Amino acid sequence: MYDPLEDENGQPRFAVSTGDMSWNKTGSWRYMRPLYDNKIPPCTVGCPAHEKIPQYFAYVKDKKYEQAWHIILEDNPLPGVTGRVCYHPCEAVCNRGDYDESIAIHNMERFVADQNLKHHIPQSFIRDKHEETIAIIGSGPAGLSAAYQLTLLGYTVTIFEAAEQAGGMLRLGIPEYRLPREVLDKEIEDIVRLGVTIKTAIRVGRDIGMDTLQRDFNAVLIATGAYKSWGMNLPGEELKGIASGLSFLKEYNLTGSAPIGKRVVVVGGGNTAIDTARSALRLGADVTIVYRRSKAEMPAVPEEVEDAQREGIHIRFLTNPVGFSGNGKVEQIRLIRMELGEADESGRRRPIPIKGSEYTIDADQVLLAIGEVPDLDFLPDSFKLKKDRLLVDHFQRTGQPGIFACGDASTGPIGTVVDAIGTGKRAAHSIHQYLSSKTVHIPEEPTDGVPFDTLNLDYFQQESRPQERQHHSTQLKGDFNEVNLGIGEDDAVYEANRCFSCGTCTYCDNCLIFCPDVAIRFDVDKHEYVINYDFCKGCGICVQECPRNAMSYEEELKWA
Amino acid sequence: MSQKLIKIPFEEYMSPGSVACPGCGGNLSMRYTQKALGLNTMIVIPACCWSIIDGPTPSSVNHVPVFHTAFETAAATASGIKAGLHAQGKDDTNVMAWAGDGGTFDIGFQALSGAAERNEDILYVTYDNEAYMNTGIQRSSATPYGSWTTTTPNKKERPKKNLIEALAAHHIPYIATASVAFPDDLIKKVEKAKSLRGTKFIHILAPCPPGWKTPPEITIKLARLAVETKIFPLFEIEEGWRYHITHESSGIPVGQYLKPQGRFSHLTEADYETIQRDVERNYKILKMKEKMSKEISAMD
Amino acid sequence: MGLVLNEKMKKYFDPETISEIKVIEGTHSASYAVELARVKVISAFPITPQTSIVEKLSEMCDRGELDAQFIKVESEHSAMAAVIGSEATGARSFTATSSQGLALMHEVLHWAAGARLPIVMANVNRALGPPWNIWADQTDSLAQRETGWIQFYCESNQEVLDTILMAYKLGEKVMLPVMVNMDAFFLSHTSEPVAIPKQELVDQFLPPYNPELKLDTDHPHAFGGLAMPNQYMELRYNIQKSMEEADRLIPEISREYARLMGRDHGAQIEEYRTDGADYLLFTSGTIAGTTRLVIDEYREKGIKIGMVKIRTFRPFPSRELREATRRCKKVGVIDRNISFGQSGIFFSETKAALYNSDHHPLMNGYIAGLGGRDVTPTNIREIADHLINSKEGQDLIWIGVKNESKTN
Ligand SMILES: Cc1cc2nc3c(=O)[nH]c(=O)nc-3n(C[C@H](O)[C@H](O)[C@H](O)COP(=O)(O)OP(=O)(O)OC[C@H]3O[C@@H](n4cnc5c(N)ncnc54)[C@H](O)[C@@H]3O)c2cc1C
Ligand SMILES: Cc1ncc(C[n+]2csc(CCOP(=O)(O)OP(=O)(O)O)c2C)c(N)n1
Ligand code: SF4
Ligand code: SF4
Ligand SMILES: [Mg+2]
Repeated sequence: MYDPLEDENGQPRFAVSTGDMSWNKTGSWRYMRPLYDNKIPPCTVGCPAHEKIPQYFAYVKDKKYEQAWHIILEDNPLPGVTGRVCYHPCEAVCNRGDYDESIAIHNMERFVADQNLKHHIPQSFIRDKHEETIAIIGSGPAGLSAAYQLTLLGYTVTIFEAAEQAGGMLRLGIPEYRLPREVLDKEIEDIVRLGVTIKTAIRVGRDIGMDTLQRDFNAVLIATGAYKSWGMNLPGEELKGIASGLSFLKEYNLTGSAPIGKRVVVVGGGNTAIDTARSALRLGADVTIVYRRSKAEMPAVPEEVEDAQREGIHIRFLTNPVGFSGNGKVEQIRLIRMELGEADESGRRRPIPIKGSEYTIDADQVLLAIGEVPDLDFLPDSFKLKKDRLLVDHFQRTGQPGIFACGDASTGPIGTVVDAIGTGKRAAHSIHQYLSSKTVHIPEEPTDGVPFDTLNLDYFQQESRPQERQHHSTQLKGDFNEVNLGIGEDDAVYEANRCFSCGTCTYCDNCLIFCPDVAIRFDVDKHEYVINYDFCKGCGICVQECPRNAMSYEEELKWA
Repeated sequence: MSQKLIKIPFEEYMSPGSVACPGCGGNLSMRYTQKALGLNTMIVIPACCWSIIDGPTPSSVNHVPVFHTAFETAAATASGIKAGLHAQGKDDTNVMAWAGDGGTFDIGFQALSGAAERNEDILYVTYDNEAYMNTGIQRSSATPYGSWTTTTPNKKERPKKNLIEALAAHHIPYIATASVAFPDDLIKKVEKAKSLRGTKFIHILAPCPPGWKTPPEITIKLARLAVETKIFPLFEIEEGWRYHITHESSGIPVGQYLKPQGRFSHLTEADYETIQRDVERNYKILKMKEKMSKEISAMD
Repeated sequence: MGLVLNEKMKKYFDPETISEIKVIEGTHSASYAVELARVKVISAFPITPQTSIVEKLSEMCDRGELDAQFIKVESEHSAMAAVIGSEATGARSFTATSSQGLALMHEVLHWAAGARLPIVMANVNRALGPPWNIWADQTDSLAQRETGWIQFYCESNQEVLDTILMAYKLGEKVMLPVMVNMDAFFLSHTSEPVAIPKQELVDQFLPPYNPELKLDTDHPHAFGGLAMPNQYMELRYNIQKSMEEADRLIPEISREYARLMGRDHGAQIEEYRTDGADYLLFTSGTIAGTTRLVIDEYREKGIKIGMVKIRTFRPFPSRELREATRRCKKVGVIDRNISFGQSGIFFSETKAALYNSDHHPLMNGYIAGLGGRDVTPTNIREIADHLINSKEGQDLIWIGVKNESKTN
């Protein structure tokens, strides 16, 4: 047979092609290898619970809110809470902030949580089953987070809570207009549904001893928070009408009423001070906050300070009380003006009194909110403390076998709900490691997020961040309705799309589109991109054109 | 949608294994163009890098027929192919001449002008890497002012030939510029060209890492900068007079495009200024033409 | 037709085989051949004296007599490139040129042959400038000798028509392009009666072109891609083999044509009164016609002289020429062309062809009629007499040059 293409010797009869170039394995040219390499975004690093932010955003884009919620739940069982009260350190480090405005991660979390108020954490989240039991002291966010994680790991957990109701400061401290109790109740209920037992009105040290817990449980976690208020040791502090802001809040939050004056002065600049002041305002008082530094140094969340001022609270910055006076009951408060000196160890400038600047104002109630410390009297002296807190190592171990601590009670990152959740999670993994005969890897915690300058911004345009809706009351008295109302669905989807998704592939196809050598394909079954290293010449375009640094470029020698 | 997502047809009409250099903009140009054209296409390739890239006998990286032809004949050979197909009633086949800048701006310009004047029903695409790369980086009339090449060892003193305008003067149905950094725009233009009868001309700026003395991974980055600096604006011309800018250049300073390229490494601030001035003026002219053609359209 | 046919002519113009007899120029003869061959694509650029081929074809296309695409390109280079393209799709294609135009095509002539495309081209042999000269001279086509084209040289307008038809058949069989040459003005612009064969007969002789390999989206191939040193030589070997195949096929095709149409112009060569000849004059093109008269005249006188008309220059008819000269004493080659620094081109080729023969006649090379100068019977007699009287062979003898330096 005459073959027009080849002669008898298999030689081309004419200069004609008989096939394509796929025999030519150009991969051998490569000395740099591109690869898919998802990396941790700064927001995840910045979030003390290390929520997988771009990952759950991916579901929000598709309006798959339940899946989004499930991603959050891996790290935080209380997104409805944190979505409202967290001071969102994630946003401070969000790369988008270096470009236009940081992503409204906080409101995204709240939005996702609120979409799932009717859903419950699935039992299928419980991955394992273990015989050991664990006692947790305190049902604040730290205790709840640890209890939740331990339950998922398969342990039986009992929480002992001194108060009548669970929730710690979320219930006792944080006012309802910031955290509606239905949300808190729902999220605690979800944890209980998973099998966590919460024994309320049991104070360890009073109703049950540490030794009993140590005997009856395989491990004990101390998550008792910090609720002992500092005093000021000023003349007249014993006068009636002078109390701690926290006790005032507790009383109101637990009973629905608290004694209130006409002219209330709140001392302090933290969240407790603001909450105290705004609650007092809602009870009908004329409220002034006295804070010894300037606005910039206030530890309270700036938005809260703004809200307080908007609502009509007068703040006297650079002012400190020097004494109280009154006839059995406080009537006046003596103040001194301050100026800022050198920075102290907290990095904030130290306030120094200005001599001779003292003056007096009227007050019939003074609420002190200058800080809280843990009450650890129920523990034997063998426990080591540091600055009034229980000393723990990076794995939340107290040094006593089988006894761990987390949240505000212990040293480490403290003072916020999400820190409590983060350390609670870490404590749970430590306890799991302690209880397992085999070594268990404590999930490594991210330290470095994808840097801003490694993103390829060519694919983005400047867009502004959505504004949170608010409820503004004309008649504040008695109105404990939630003030911040979060963002709506359109904004949430918009915001999920606005996120750079730093370090996390979004399947935008850029790598595949820009490969000059047809060496990348998308595997539909595995839902992933596959680089054909037989052909990839290692030009690096895919890595360069990935907008979000979800690929890496490594020397081929490493792979030889 | 914050990320500008690019959507291009999924189907590939080229095999991997081409012998193009890593990061070759010319290879990518072909890949995109074929996505718009599909299998009912024939390609004419005159002497250029692509005569090599396509593959040695008996192989071809393209899954459609390819006819290699002499350096200056792309447009004429394509005309002949079209006529041959027409004579056999195969009018629906896309016939594409695919040439480098040398084969288009220079040696093949006569044949291109002839075909355009006759309004041959062909698509002529030039992947412009701004020099004779196949023979080792010699200047062409598409080499921009200031560029080093082996035959302009100091720098090229004359500006790049404005071929688009030369073609506009032929009053052909469709002319467009395109960039490998804007594949969706590129593909849309090829699709439009495909839908029109007569001569269509598409000018793709295709960065060439060895020829431009740039690392291969910045091919797309450079192609984009060329557009955004207004050095290589993206636009189309219908019937030789209706101008339409398809992507508004953001006006990044030209230095950002020039500095990463070894071929421009000797340029001084004064050169940047000269280039910037020319670029601004040319873009203004383009904008005026767009405006003018809109006004004229409105009068009709 | 009002044409009175003598016996000889009747053989030529067999009413059974022809549709009509037209008195036409050589250029139009080519045009009619193109029409009969049912050419699909024509591309050409005008040059005197080829223009009338193109003009006639344009008319034919315009009137719808010829269903072909005519691409009116901007140069001969593009004309050849265009028919390269069209032929590659499997469409029978044609172009025509002359002189400068052919020289401009040179690069792409290689391409056509290398791409194995059986294009047929009519070339009107015309002198190359400077100085400008539009008259007969074969140097233009002979300069294309290494391009891989089969080349025919014609003596009459009828031969032009018949040869073009045979050229398609031959070229398409061996997949090589064919150039059919005619002398400027002596043929191109001289009217002669030409028998136009019946279309059915032509169709029978020349079936539609349907190559096994072509540009076809259903069977995609790349044509002409890079061939490495380990491949290129075989591809060149294949071209030579096809040339040899052409050499074998030419007599066959000529015979078939003669059987169908009743006309035989010979194969690679045509011998005229060569039986028992001691002296042979080698000619090509229109000089052959003049030479015939002189041969008749000398034969009358009893001088044993004959003529060999060389019809194909490529493949060169070496075997046939050796055969034809086996018994002769002297050969004179008349060239209307020159390869500067050597001799007439037919002469040097013939001489080379006979070198490996066991019989070596005396050989003289004559250059005559360059740039359209008449080659008269007197010139031919001069050549014949010179040959008969030669004692030893001479490579280069100028005929009719006014200022020939006698010292040379
Ligand atoms: C008024 C106020 C507002 C705040 N606002 C914010 C805010 O907006 N955002 C934010 O991030 N943080 C805020 N914080 C801080 C935040 O509430 C705490 O950092 C966080 O609650 C600490 O969690 P925890 O679980 O460690 O302790 P807690 O929440 O304090 O919980 C400890 C629990 O342990 C119980 N307990 C204590 N001792 C015993 C015992 N011996 N036996 C049994 N149970 C015991 C307590 O009753 C309590 O329920 C605020 C704090 C206050 C006081
Ligand atoms: C008639 C002719 N002259 C010169 C060459 C050599 N040659 C081959 S490719 C080339 C340069 C091609 O440049 P361009 O068209 O810009 O394509 P590129 O190689 O840059 O892709 C040259 C000069 C040739 N093949 N033919
Ligand atoms: S842009 Fe998205 S992924 Fe990046 S830091 Fe901000 S929220 Fe996280
Ligand atoms: S020399 Fe330039 S254009 Fe040619 S293959 Fe290499 S990168 Fe592509
Ligand atoms: Mg080039």
